[in-house]
Amino acid sequence: MIYNFIKALRASNIRISAAETMEAIETLNHVGLFNRQLLKDSLSLVLAKTRDDKEIYSSCFDLFFTMETPEPTEIIAQDALDNTLMPKNEQSDSGNSQNERSSSLLELLERPDQMALAENIAIAAQQVQLSNIKIFTQRGIYARRILEHMGVNELERKIHDLARAGEEDAYNNLKFRKAQTLESVLELVDKNLLLYTANSGANLRQEILEKTPLAQVETRDFKTMHELVKKLSKRLISIHSRRRRKAKRGALDVRQTIRKNMQFDGVLFNTVWKKVQIDRPKVIAVCDVSGSVAQTARFLLMFLYSVHEIIPKVRSFAFSNQLGEITSLFEEMPIEIALNEAINQWGMGSTDYGGALHELERLVGNEIDSKTTVLILGDGRSNYGDPGHLALKRIHLKSKSVMWLNPEPRTFWNTGDSEMNKFNASCDRVESCRSIRHLERIVSDIARRTV
Amino acid sequence: MTEASNADSAISAIKEALKGHDYIASQNISTAVYLAQKLSKPILVEGPPGVGKTELAKATALLLDKPMIRLQCYEGLDESKALYEWKYGKQLLYTQVLKEKLSELTSNSESLKQSVEKLHEFDDTFFSTDFLEPRPLLKALWAEQGAVLLIDEIDKSDLEFEAFLLEILQDYQISIPEIGTVTSTVPPVVFLTSNNTREIGDALKRRCLHLYIPFPDSKLEREIVRSRIPNVEETLEKQIVTFVQEVREMDLKKVPAVSETLDWAKALILLNVRNLETNIVRSTLNVLLKFQDDIEHVEPEIPTLIRSAAR
Repeated sequence: MIYNFIKALRASNIRISAAETMEAIETLNHVGLFNRQLLKDSLSLVLAKTRDDKEIYSSCFDLFFTMETPEPTEIIAQDALDNTLMPKNEQSDSGNSQNERSSSLLELLERPDQMALAENIAIAAQQVQLSNIKIFTQRGIYARRILEHMGVNELERKIHDLARAGEEDAYNNLKFRKAQTLESVLELVDKNLLLYTANSGANLRQEILEKTPLAQVETRDFKTMHELVKKLSKRLISIHSRRRRKAKRGALDVRQTIRKNMQFDGVLFNTVWKKVQIDRPKVIAVCDVSGSVAQTARFLLMFLYSVHEIIPKVRSFAFSNQLGEITSLFEEMPIEIALNEAINQWGMGSTDYGGALHELERLVGNEIDSKTTVLILGDGRSNYGDPGHLALKRIHLKSKSVMWLNPEPRTFWNTGDSEMNKFNASCDRVESCRSIRHLERIVSDIARRTV
Repeated sequence: MTEASNADSAISAIKEALKGHDYIASQNISTAVYLAQKLSKPILVEGPPGVGKTELAKATALLLDKPMIRLQCYEGLDESKALYEWKYGKQLLYTQVLKEKLSELTSNSESLKQSVEKLHEFDDTFFSTDFLEPRPLLKALWAEQGAVLLIDEIDKSDLEFEAFLLEILQDYQISIPEIGTVTSTVPPVVFLTSNNTREIGDALKRRCLHLYIPFPDSKLEREIVRSRIPNVEETLEKQIVTFVQEVREMDLKKVPAVSETLDWAKALILLNVRNLETNIVRSTLNVLLKFQDDIEHVEPEIPTLIRSAAR
């Protein structure tokens, strides 16, 4: 039973390790099963380890244990706490033959004992492994399987016989009872479905979103997408910040160490380290927000925003027909506002790569040095105008590296007005960046290099 | 089944005993203390500041009649401050004092090799437990009657320190390179507190029971006020708690915690207040709220809040 409960918790996105499962069992030994509130409190201490988890846990617990209620005897049998009760419900013995069971369903229906019926349903559910249910279309199958397990075939035959024999009353009565049983079985299946699949839909959706091309993401998914990007940047930040801390300690400063330890008679106790001044790399990011990449621009900006959180000293620019700096926008405002602001201010024109790159050179040309990484996000479609690749070449010569992320798949490059070939010549790295997966790979790569 | 009823009564006993030490525990909290002892697991206590996380550890120490050892975490805390340190001064002094003894011992050896060997025999003397300065963690392990170890605000420490704690929390033992593994005879009861300024690692969480202490409801809070400030009059105490509970519902930068309720109640008693009045509340609001923005936000609502509190 506890395994099923943990399975249910896992299905609602609470992470529970095997060690915690064992702890939960040990806890059960200490607190027992019969004080519901005590059980809930204790297991919550062992299993749910964040505040959000506690809330999910609480609702999950209530749902799970209202479902398990009608079978206290069975719980005990399961946990082998009290074996003496076993013979009383012999149906739980899986060794029993189908015949015995089927007669029992008939019998059960003939005498109106709701408790026993519910118990039987629960046992059958366990035997067909109802807790493996994945999606709602399986409802019918599982319900039927449970009924079959309880011996519905026999019952149907009997109903058939009764109908043929013309015993109206008995026939109607039995049929009605069968319908009732079906209802309660379906109810149980529904509860299980709710319990074990609470989150799988959302999980599936996220997984798919991670792989979808950015341009095809629909508006209603923006929120989920944003959460994904956030998650991604959070993960990257934690990895990245750890690395930086380690890199801080430098070599031993012998001279200083000796001086500092004169008080100890020259015995070297306290060490002095040469602090390494890390010269942080500068990143200049340029993002195309024009109409041709309108769909992806949002995500490229979102990505830029997350870059801001990971790498210090990023200067961001956005352009369509004109180029402007959006660094302060990103640093001061929450992401939604910053994104809309950036697109409203600089987007919606037709792309002018030539103009933009020349402008970029004019604005930051003097700042670009051998520590600067230039990051360009755009489709490289210049509307048959001047692509400005010569300006890019000059930038490239001065900078440490130039990286170009293109939201189009590689096969589309150099078709029509795409000038990727010309740009490619002055880039150190050109990547196609179409989904969250790609983003993740590229960002972690940049973060690693900038250390 | 007897086990279960035992647990029930044991938990109520803990609750009562904590109450005896001026700590009003909810059912959940006493269950946590009970289980921590039964499973000998550390408890990770989370919750907003000022709900009595640290107090819980203190009260438990009183309850178990064990010394409380406190380790305050901060950024840059390392093992020499948390676990042990060699008494360098003492080591030096001893070597100086024993210089002659040493030369005497080595004097009648013929070769350098021999004297080095001789010295080796004394080597470990200077790195023995006599020269070890125990810091909180080691103290807790060494305590013969067991102890209550409070690792306060674990979220303020570095990730590395968190990882370092894992060995202690799981097996109640610690490895000191020069001496070996120190294992506790009586495992200490460990409390870790966190204000959630950063997410605690999964590995640490897995080894702990997790207790979340929310703000108390008004019934519990009234009990807390009564037990902490025995000379408070009932009408005032009721008004104070109702007032604070309502303030907590408002949209504030920092909601007043239990400790602030207590401070406020004390202040009001000092001022000989019998009933909450607009003027007095206005002038003492800074005890309850710690941001000017919040005070300005609450100020216009004072009359309404008092009216509902008086009811």
